[in-house]
Amino acid sequence: MSVIRSFGERYATALADPDVRAGLTAFQRGWRVSRDAAIAELEAQEGRSFDELRAELAAIKDGVLADWEPHLDTFTANATAAGAEVVRVATPGEANALITERMQAAGADLMVKGKSMVSEEMGLNSHLEAAGMTPVETDLGEWILQLAEETPSHLVMPAIHKRKEVIAELFERVLERPFPPDDIDRMVKAARTELRERFLASSVGLSGANALITEGGSILLVCNEGNNRMSVALPKLHVVTAGIEKLLPTYADAMKQVRLLGRSATGQPITIYTNFLTGPRPGQEQLIVLLDNGRTAMAEDPDVAAALRCIRCGACADVCPPYGVVGGHAFGHVYTGAIGLVNTSFHHGIEAAAGPQSLCVSCGACATVCPVEIPLPVQILEIRENVARSGESGTAGRVTRLALRAFQHPTLVDLGLRAVGVATTPLRRDGVTALPSALTARGPLAERIGWRTPPAVPARPARDTLRHGRLEEPPRLAEQPLAGRKVQLFLQCVSDRMAPDIPIAAAKLLRAAGAQVTVPRDQHCCGLPAYDSGEQDTARSMVRQTMAALADGADVVTPASSCLAMIGHDAPYLLRGDVAEVERAQELAGRTYDLISYLTSGPGRLPAGSLDDGDRTPVTVHRFCQASNTLGRTDAIESFLRDVAGAPVVPLPEASECCGFGGSTSVRNPELSSGILDRKLGCVDRTEASVLITDNPGCILHLRGGVHASGREVEVLHLAEYLVRRLPGATSTDQER
Amino acid sequence: MTDRTAHDTPVAASPQRQLLRTRVEAAASTYQEVDGWEQVSAHAAAHGDRVAIAPSLHAAQPALAASLEAHGCTAVVPGTDDPAADVADVPVAIVAGVLAVAETGSVLVSEHELADRVVTMLCKRLLQVVDAADVVDRLEDAAVWLAARGGRAGFASLMTGPSRTADIERSLTIGVQGPDEVDVFVLVGTDAATEESTT
Repeated sequence: MSVIRSFGERYATALADPDVRAGLTAFQRGWRVSRDAAIAELEAQEGRSFDELRAELAAIKDGVLADWEPHLDTFTANATAAGAEVVRVATPGEANALITERMQAAGADLMVKGKSMVSEEMGLNSHLEAAGMTPVETDLGEWILQLAEETPSHLVMPAIHKRKEVIAELFERVLERPFPPDDIDRMVKAARTELRERFLASSVGLSGANALITEGGSILLVCNEGNNRMSVALPKLHVVTAGIEKLLPTYADAMKQVRLLGRSATGQPITIYTNFLTGPRPGQEQLIVLLDNGRTAMAEDPDVAAALRCIRCGACADVCPPYGVVGGHAFGHVYTGAIGLVNTSFHHGIEAAAGPQSLCVSCGACATVCPVEIPLPVQILEIRENVARSGESGTAGRVTRLALRAFQHPTLVDLGLRAVGVATTPLRRDGVTALPSALTARGPLAERIGWRTPPAVPARPARDTLRHGRLEEPPRLAEQPLAGRKVQLFLQCVSDRMAPDIPIAAAKLLRAAGAQVTVPRDQHCCGLPAYDSGEQDTARSMVRQTMAALADGADVVTPASSCLAMIGHDAPYLLRGDVAEVERAQELAGRTYDLISYLTSGPGRLPAGSLDDGDRTPVTVHRFCQASNTLGRTDAIESFLRDVAGAPVVPLPEASECCGFGGSTSVRNPELSSGILDRKLGCVDRTEASVLITDNPGCILHLRGGVHASGREVEVLHLAEYLVRRLPGATSTDQER
Repeated sequence: MTDRTAHDTPVAASPQRQLLRTRVEAAASTYQEVDGWEQVSAHAAAHGDRVAIAPSLHAAQPALAASLEAHGCTAVVPGTDDPAADVADVPVAIVAGVLAVAETGSVLVSEHELADRVVTMLCKRLLQVVDAADVVDRLEDAAVWLAARGGRAGFASLMTGPSRTADIERSLTIGVQGPDEVDVFVLVGTDAATEESTT
């Protein structure tokens, strides 16, 4: 019998097993290739974009979710007319009791099960076993896990965390004959032989439902292995377990789901068996159990209702960097991946959701592949706020809250960080703080801090250097698109204090392009760290403070793309309770740019070749994940570097994947963060470029720390730092960071 | 459902059937256009000495069993008492599809009775036969057929290739609980047109 252990145990177990990460990385890479090809083929076939297709399916689902009662009534009436019995239950306990009772009444003690996530949600197997009955999973992955006494780690590929060697050993132990690990076919055939006896012997079969089709009272049930077809056909009683949100009005709607489901799940245009069941077969009974278990509460909460659109394809896990490091046992509860971070608190309580949600790096990748357009990153932050409010985030959460509240006060931050800067002067080397090797090389702290050298905290923040008249006049470009234009530079709190060269380089570049650069005095922090930590009240107050500081109607340019994501994307959402505030936030968003967009699509568009100093050292570009996933930027930096700076750009594999910084995640869960960083730096190694360019200061400090700690010879530069060196007549101080 | 003139040009198949062929083969099934059931029988007999016939197909094509016997193999039509036992060890099976979807290379099989279902579930090799007139373009065309059934009890399955799994290390393995091999036959001969009225 499998039991879900505490989050801490699951996290530690996942990190301790090197196979987990290696296997999941290979899985994610393979999935990405298959899925992208399948979606591209679909777009060509339909003559419509993925975004159009998923918006269509999302709208169909939303139409039901707005009020599912009439749809449920029609479904129930139609299914009943076809001979099924439909029972709605509020809790897993009721569902388990009902199913057990029916099995007892039928004199049955063996149940063959097709894959059903709702039955996992209910804990049905444990319940049946406690009642002396035997549930047998018949999906290959689920069966493997049942033999191993584990739970699924993925919605579609339940045993993807297990290597074939481990599965072969398991088969040898259970079936008492040899299984060579490379002979997967032999393992599959063994499952067929073992399970066929069970299919033929069982008088009760269970399945889930991919959709409940109102129009005909039918159940859509897909599978590849054919096990589902057997577990619904052979037994005399067929039990269906499904969430009440699975309704679709028509068969044509179901086909739209089919088109996106297989492609998103496994890269297949359609599953091998796409079954439509209407009532029981002759000589059979059919019991359809529709479970609520928090779904009504979700539907009534506008912040998370869209999560009920989920069609359980698992795509959100397949692109998730933390999932790739620890897998679904840690990154989820019963439901894994990004969707699990949202729905777990409704199905299993906030305490079950607290641990897994802390692993999210807010990279936004999940939202780009979701076939029903669930705004998962935003919803996860809503859950994170609920966790913070509930106190389930523990000591770490309380410390974070106090720190962020203190961080709201600019004077306090200013004095504090200046003091740190002075105190750490002896340790400052090349932009990092060189900690004594006694701390980082071994001992209890080594694993938590040794993988990333912390950034230096200079004694003088950027705002001091940029004070009016202090910065020497930079060389001017021949063509000055910004001549006479006023630009307010938003420094970003992290760069200002820990990487002042970045905003200083940005200021020089803007001036070289003719801008009159001002640094508004009252600027502090856009509020992203607080929002990212689930402290939305604190975040709102910082957003308001930023809006006040930048109220002057001139353009705002920031070298930090993360601040643009906050000001341009998140702030209007956070202030959604007040129409006037939203308007003001949108007004600011409309004139705020990150450096690259200002220099490419904004007013500061630089002519081709204008920053070409003839240097042809190859560079590679890490695309800040939120810029790609949230702001929709693609290859702007690469194109700019090629066209305007004349630099040879080597494409970085997985360029848009998170580097592992993830705001609070790298502090809370350093082991996870270092795992993601390893994958990123591995990709950088493959380019053989010696210069890595990106444009988000958080990523830069994180990547520099990782490069330094691993002894790599790669220079990590902000776009502005790289470009400023290429200004005509750049000084030697510009050449060395 | 499609223009009857498609039958006049069995050699140069319609673009719709060309797409069907492409998709069927992409799903790891074979695709053949044949003049009539005789070629289906010959193919079945070449792959096993016992061949199961779905009872609904047997009712519509009573001559099929004799045709199989003529090829020297035993035709098995499962009864209603214990149909699974009747076909559990029969390696090859034949079923008729109500339509085929070119978009996905799927054959829609309607199999309400257990005796029909065991035929497609338990064999190693499944022959799916569909009339050229019943090849449709898109999944929505299959939805029209499903909706037209008006909620009557039934079981319809869009089948797209042999059963498969990738549950172990995402490694594709063909043949799990369902058939290992699927052959799709499209009846394009003139006799198909007359037989269609009986199916």
